[in-house]
Amino acid sequence: MKAIEIYCNFIKKNLDNPSFAKKLINLGIGVAEKYVSYFGDRKVLASHRYLNEICMKYMRESLYNPERSAWVNIFTPTEIFHAMGVFPLFIEAYSSFMSGFFIEDVLIDKAEAAGISNTLCSFHKAFIGAGEYGILQKPKMAVTTSIICDANLNTFRYLAKKYDIPFYIIDVPSKSSENAVEYVKDQLVEIIQMSEDVFSQKFDIDKLGEIVKIENKTNEYRRKYLSYLSTKVCHSIMSFEMFMLFTSHVFMGRPETLKYYQKLLQDIKNAPERSKKGIFFIHLVPMWEPSFQQYFNLGENYDILGSDLNYDFIGKIDTSDPLKGIAEKLIGTTYNGDFAKISSHITKIIDIVKPDGIIQFCHWGCKQSIGTANLYKNILKEKGIPFLIVDGDIMDKRNNQEGQINTRLEAFLEILESR
Amino acid sequence: MIGYVCKYAPAKVLEVFDKDAVRIDPKIRTDTAESLVHPNMCSFMKAVLEEVLENNIDELVLTNCCDSMRRLYDVLKGKLQFLYMLDLPVKVNNTSNKIFYDEICSLISAYERYSGKEFDMDKFTELLKNHKEKSLPDAELIAVFGARLRPDVIDNIQKRSNIKVQNLTCTATDKYIKLKNLEDQDPILHYAKTLLNSFPCMRMAEERPEFLKDIKIKGIIYNTIKFCDFYSYEYAALKNLDVPTLKIETDYTDTDSGQIKTRVDAFLESLGSRRITGVNKEGKYFAGVDSGSTSTNIVILDNNKNIVSYSIVPTGAMAIDSAKKAYEIALKRAGLEKEDIANVVSTGYGRVGIPFADKQVTEITCHGKGAFYFDKDIRTIIDIGGQDSKVIRLDNEGNVVDFVMNDKCSAGTGKFLEVMARTLEVPIDEMAEVITDSGENIKITSMCTVFAESEVISLIAQNKDKKDIIHALNKAVASKGVVLLDRVGRKGKYMMTGGVAKNKGVVSEIENKIEDKIRIPTEPQIIGALGAAILALGD
Ligand code: SF4
Ligand code: SF4
Ligand code: SF4
Repeated sequence: MKAIEIYCNFIKKNLDNPSFAKKLINLGIGVAEKYVSYFGDRKVLASHRYLNEICMKYMRESLYNPERSAWVNIFTPTEIFHAMGVFPLFIEAYSSFMSGFFIEDVLIDKAEAAGISNTLCSFHKAFIGAGEYGILQKPKMAVTTSIICDANLNTFRYLAKKYDIPFYIIDVPSKSSENAVEYVKDQLVEIIQMSEDVFSQKFDIDKLGEIVKIENKTNEYRRKYLSYLSTKVCHSIMSFEMFMLFTSHVFMGRPETLKYYQKLLQDIKNAPERSKKGIFFIHLVPMWEPSFQQYFNLGENYDILGSDLNYDFIGKIDTSDPLKGIAEKLIGTTYNGDFAKISSHITKIIDIVKPDGIIQFCHWGCKQSIGTANLYKNILKEKGIPFLIVDGDIMDKRNNQEGQINTRLEAFLEILESR
Repeated sequence: MIGYVCKYAPAKVLEVFDKDAVRIDPKIRTDTAESLVHPNMCSFMKAVLEEVLENNIDELVLTNCCDSMRRLYDVLKGKLQFLYMLDLPVKVNNTSNKIFYDEICSLISAYERYSGKEFDMDKFTELLKNHKEKSLPDAELIAVFGARLRPDVIDNIQKRSNIKVQNLTCTATDKYIKLKNLEDQDPILHYAKTLLNSFPCMRMAEERPEFLKDIKIKGIIYNTIKFCDFYSYEYAALKNLDVPTLKIETDYTDTDSGQIKTRVDAFLESLGSRRITGVNKEGKYFAGVDSGSTSTNIVILDNNKNIVSYSIVPTGAMAIDSAKKAYEIALKRAGLEKEDIANVVSTGYGRVGIPFADKQVTEITCHGKGAFYFDKDIRTIIDIGGQDSKVIRLDNEGNVVDFVMNDKCSAGTGKFLEVMARTLEVPIDEMAEVITDSGENIKITSMCTVFAESEVISLIAQNKDKKDIIHALNKAVASKGVVLLDRVGRKGKYMMTGGVAKNKGVVSEIENKIEDKIRIPTEPQIIGALGAAILALGD
């Protein structure tokens, strides 16, 4: 058994002793950087190493300082928290790390034993399971959004009650209008008031202005990076694509994030021309799936070009009234609305990136995404881009049939090769 | 005809345009939806999709209730003549009232443009004024709660209950809105506000308990729908309250299936609210018949509650024939004739079809009675039978206070072990041995019978020791059982019943996990029949 496995088993055995398990998890994340097995590999780019480093830092900040942290989802406008120096912990990331520790199965079982439906998305189930075990540290508050999936409101409401912490949901209307912007902006003001209370600290609107400026600058780099992707590629591994959710969403506006995209842009400028088949992913990347790992992690024959979820918003926020700007961003978010809105944005990204094939990994329980699979199929057929739908679970390894997934993936890659 | 699905849809507005505005209530499932959307969408959404396409409903108003509804809109777009997605806020405040009002106004203009009809405000005001307000009953009731249930299913539950069964899911609560006091200038605004302020469903941010505090609830039947994300949380929270709660998981269209009926009946029995017909007590002997999916068991008692005889017969293709056969054997063993039996109670899956039974009671109640008969200290019964498993909680008088059953599939049941024994080519008895932790620690990750079978095949191919595989399978069944147990909570003393109770391997694995002893009756298969016989005696 490898050291990491022994460690993970040790965490599993100590789940009934929450305070000790918490310490083990924190320690694990503290040293995780050194355990990422690819780090010996010289093919890993400087920007990716840096991405790994800052993601661990972002995780540590919230886990080591629960009294300065808040639970959020990936769409929570954390700009407000960055402006206050509050550390967000986003549940999708927490759950992914637990899957990295191989304890997602027991957490999920725990949630189901509490009565949570087994058809719920496993990111949410694992987080709830951690809450049921009491290994989650009590943050100061929890803020979620009504976008982009159903589970948010209730997972947060349930756990906030259990942990007895203030909870706020931002309702984002799906149609844009003046009223809608005002409605969201009012809610942002309420969150600010609530956070001022909870953290006994004044909110500084100028600070928010600075954060938004960094965010705009970051998005400039991101747009530039995208424009290189049709001809060049940075060999990546799937976990980095998922790590990018830190920088493309929750930690947008932080200077470290800006620096990462700066480095990434530098790396792609120096990168070789694209010569292998490049794959673009819809929604999530199955980072733990062995067959995918084998083909895509610094693979010899295929490259990951990215995933749409990392590019849902690459525009500019109005800096003259940052709260209004953030409200508009939330309403304008690609996934907030019907498929016509989603596909018009995503096909633009696809046109820029020019992938050779597209894969949608239909994650168990994620209806907002799997509900679009057949619709994507139609539009991608028109575009003449090969498209693969695979069913599975990004998190709960027990839900995946390796053989089935492998056959589908390989057949798809054979199709790509024959073109 | 204009169709809608949600209680927040402005039905009265639609009625102004077309008196045939109907809430879509699909009753059957075909397979057409699966060719249009991913199979893991919520089953209600798929049923609506089929209903709309198959019955050529060409005008439809949806609300952006959930991810499934949003995608339903996307799939139907371009297929209907009129399709509108109403943006429904999650919160209730002044701005959201305005947003919802604007939405209803846009819907009206869109329908006007489409139909060429003008919206008749007078007619609308009339409709609001004539709205028949209903109020919730004052008396103690059984609340049906959670995700939507079809009204006819509620009616069926009502028929079997002796107190009021109140539908509080989103297929009914719209009836309780109060529309008469048109204090606002604009009737549409008044209507929009009233709708938005009605009893909130779980996709709303408003707190539900507030709206419930005036109702006297004796028990809650809580429905969840597969792949619906909203409702199981509330069940998880409710379950810690003092109110007895039954959870059912449905496909929306399958809600009248036998399994759901069994659960509901057992629940009503445990509340003492099941409508029952009288029991005849003349004669000296009493029989209980448990018609299960794998075996049919009969117990005969005398009027002092002594077991006179019993029989266990494998259930054949015809459940009735097996029951008759088991009955004959039991009578013969006791040296009795049919005429000596005063009363017969049947239980189990086949309980309804037993011609010689006087009354039917669910296996949940019967297991409770049977286990308590053996040992008054039993608080938890773990029953793992051929095709289903359940955990039953008893109070200190032997009444059922809570129970859970497994889902429809055979994962973690006797059937599962049987299939695996066949795959391993070992007799089923060999599966039942206690294996101590000596060999390799193998883990079966999949609980689905089909997938687990292929896992076992690949383990055989890897030349793994059969003993280790059996050990792994027993552990898998045990952990499935413990998950079920944890849904009711742990509480000793434990008894295990059903065919799998004879499997010492599984029993010892469960004991390890719960760190407690489990009592196994000498004939774990007859507990249900025994309970039925006790009920036949009239306890
Ligand atoms: S995977 Fe889908 S369902 Fe799960 S959290 Fe993400 S968006 Fe929501
Ligand atoms: S859950 Fe709420 S929004 Fe959804 S259909 Fe029911 S009442 Fe409408
Ligand atoms: S059952 Fe749940 S998921 Fe399905 S349409 Fe209703 S609210 Fe949505």
